[in-house]
Amino acid sequence: MREIKTVTILGANGAMGSGSAGVIAAFGGAKVHMLARDVEKAKQGIEAAVASVKTDTIRARMIPGSYDADLEKAVAESDWVFELVAESYEVKEPINIRIAKARRPGTIVSTVSSGLSIGRLAKAYDEDGQKHYYGTHFFNPPYKMILCELVTHSGNDKKVTQALGEYLDKVLGRAVVYTNDTPAFAGNRIGFQLMNEVAHFAEKYADKGGIALLDEIMSGYTGRAMGPLATADFVGLDVHKAIVDNIYDNTKDEAHETFKLPGYFQKLIDAGKLGMKSGGGLTKVVKHADGKREKFVYNIKTGEYDPYPKFDIPFIKEARQKIKESDYKGAMDVVKKASGFEADIARYFISRYISYSLSLVGEVVDTKENTDGAMGFGFNWVPASAFVDFLGGPKETIKLMETSKVPVPKLLKDAKEGKKFYELGDKLDARSLFKG
Amino acid sequence: MSEKVFVLGGEQTDFQRNWTKEGKTFMSMMREVLDDALEKVGISYDEIKRLNKENRVAVFVGNFDAEQYANQGHLGAFLTEVNPALFGVPGARYEAACASGSVALDAAITHIRAEDYDLAIVLGVEVMKTVSSSVGGDFLGTAAYYDKEAKGVQFPFPKLFGKLADVILERYELKEERFMDALAEISRINYANAKRNPKAQTRTWFMNKEHAMARGGDNNMAVGGRLCITDCSQVTDGAAVTLLASKSYAKDYAKKTGRKFDDIPRIKGWGHRVAPITFEAKKQESVGDKYILPWTRQTVKDAYKRADLDVKNIDVFETHDCFTSSEYAAISAFGISEPGKEHIAIEDGTIDFGGKKPINPSGGLIGVGHPVGASGVRMMLDLYKQVTNTAGDYQVKGAKNGLMLNIGGSATTNFVFILGK
Repeated sequence: MREIKTVTILGANGAMGSGSAGVIAAFGGAKVHMLARDVEKAKQGIEAAVASVKTDTIRARMIPGSYDADLEKAVAESDWVFELVAESYEVKEPINIRIAKARRPGTIVSTVSSGLSIGRLAKAYDEDGQKHYYGTHFFNPPYKMILCELVTHSGNDKKVTQALGEYLDKVLGRAVVYTNDTPAFAGNRIGFQLMNEVAHFAEKYADKGGIALLDEIMSGYTGRAMGPLATADFVGLDVHKAIVDNIYDNTKDEAHETFKLPGYFQKLIDAGKLGMKSGGGLTKVVKHADGKREKFVYNIKTGEYDPYPKFDIPFIKEARQKIKESDYKGAMDVVKKASGFEADIARYFISRYISYSLSLVGEVVDTKENTDGAMGFGFNWVPASAFVDFLGGPKETIKLMETSKVPVPKLLKDAKEGKKFYELGDKLDARSLFKG
Repeated sequence: MSEKVFVLGGEQTDFQRNWTKEGKTFMSMMREVLDDALEKVGISYDEIKRLNKENRVAVFVGNFDAEQYANQGHLGAFLTEVNPALFGVPGARYEAACASGSVALDAAITHIRAEDYDLAIVLGVEVMKTVSSSVGGDFLGTAAYYDKEAKGVQFPFPKLFGKLADVILERYELKEERFMDALAEISRINYANAKRNPKAQTRTWFMNKEHAMARGGDNNMAVGGRLCITDCSQVTDGAAVTLLASKSYAKDYAKKTGRKFDDIPRIKGWGHRVAPITFEAKKQESVGDKYILPWTRQTVKDAYKRADLDVKNIDVFETHDCFTSSEYAAISAFGISEPGKEHIAIEDGTIDFGGKKPINPSGGLIGVGHPVGASGVRMMLDLYKQVTNTAGDYQVKGAKNGLMLNIGGSATTNFVFILGK
């Protein structure tokens, strides 16, 4: 096991920086240099770290510092430098140059980027530095979301990768998913494909219920706690745009067109309506004088906010009831047999999600367990392979894909019938991710 | 006794799950855990139908308080909702507070021993995340003498087991620092063991000795006298199933499933004693006794006697660590140490995962979680895993005999079972 006794965190006052630092100081027992723009901010990061893992015992081994005064000294004595500054080459590259000059040979350096090229960022380093440079994509909040995408690039050494993976898994308790250096890696590539295509459908069906309707169709019975558009609103439309633009510009797969940002997203971003963090985006909540809260949803046609509607779609009700009673295959049977355009949409997106997840095996990840882990641990969505089992196996799933006109991945064509397709069951009970 | 009742295995739910948040109920939990258990053991619903025609199968449901947590009683009949194969199968619900799972096991064992049935399905279940922790704490108070010990008291049970810690400290004239360190070590061991158990509630939680020692403050609040959050098991939703069988059925089962009959573990001994219900009465009664919980010790002795075994024959223990103080007292009750010397067995690593007498390799109630009515059944399932060498990452090497202690109330209802090959 690789020994990591001292760690430097850059971006210590951000939610990801403080949360990751908390995990490293607590589970890893490491001394952590908490660096921010100024010492006051770093101190705030320490308190946030303590609050995130709920233990005062880590406070004493977290040392506040600033980039200007302390970066070189902290880096020089660290076994791991974890950089979590803003998500852009312009911010990360100059800092990498400073880290590269100060680091000792053998020190691991990693970034929390959710989409930038790890290979490009590694270029700031000498050969030893490139060998030890990684993407360690933690999810927010790090203590609760245990996924870590460990992103490698062509300059890495397999032995170092293995040792780092072991440390992240055994010491820090992360669910480690190994991914290649491709745009948005595994979790976001799959997750934002679905979210963005759902957003396009919301536009297409704007007259029939738009955003609210699509989130209703893609609600808990399809294997997620939160609707895809509610998720986009939660992460922020600006972040959503950055991720889908990056994928659109740098990939060319069968889902390429689905990564185009919908026009109404851009309109909302231009108006500063970025989602929940800015008080409104695809939805907004208004607090009335009597203290009651009312939820509104953006009307794509009119540009106004309408009261959030309630839907009464019989097959969804029936599927939800089945999930409530833990009859998951029964719920999927309801979805398979239902008629109407809403059911067609549900079937299309379930098929699309499985198809796209499995299609990335070979390019983004080496095994389907990695995409399954990314979605299960990172998004709390039912992993694609588990869906195959709930749908009744590979043949039934292929049938659904063919009806919905999405590509059938080779992995599924080659799968054996009558054998469980989902292989992470001992680590993650996929049933827990359906909501009735 | 030891040639009468056999354990075929079973399954538990993931104790990390919050079924209310998932929009599911105790009924869905029963369905999932029973489906999983039958699949794991290799017994189909058709087989249950076949046995039921000859009145050879029965169900025993352990549950403490579904009336309050889920507004539902009559759980013995509820398995008929799980699967129509259970229509007509005799079933009842058994309650003895946190030992509800054990009283259900006891009833099942008794019926099989009496040759009434060939197969017993024992299902322990509790949903607890339906209410806030303070409301839940009040519900749990009914496991004590509610009017005298719990009415109007916030979190009555940590307080009762905090009193147990006080009595241990005073009666054995222990140094407080050493005793509290030993309790912290119990906590550390249980959390560390739970990390290896993929169904444990706390498997992703942070905990180490340093944190367990840092009692007080917002992050490790005092909840019962000397006891802080890290000394407590925490409520969770969960269910567990174990299947028990007669010798003839176990033999047929072994043949049908390609297992060796000699590999199927059997219940070798049991003990069941009830101590005075209030903690104060327990305390008064034990004055002058070597053991602070003499009825707990007696229950263990009864089980050893029935099994014709002693502590030296037991390779693994699952104990009721609802609080660190209850596990502390159990160490001498098992005979691992003399009463008053429990801290030595803790300090020298005897009860640790790799020690001579490992306690709670599963993580125990502190690590796995404590869905009250399911805990006894879960313990039996864990003993089964250990003695059949199927516990995966938390397997105790070479375990042949295991002992479980499940208690209800403030060590009021005491149940012990010994399982081995």
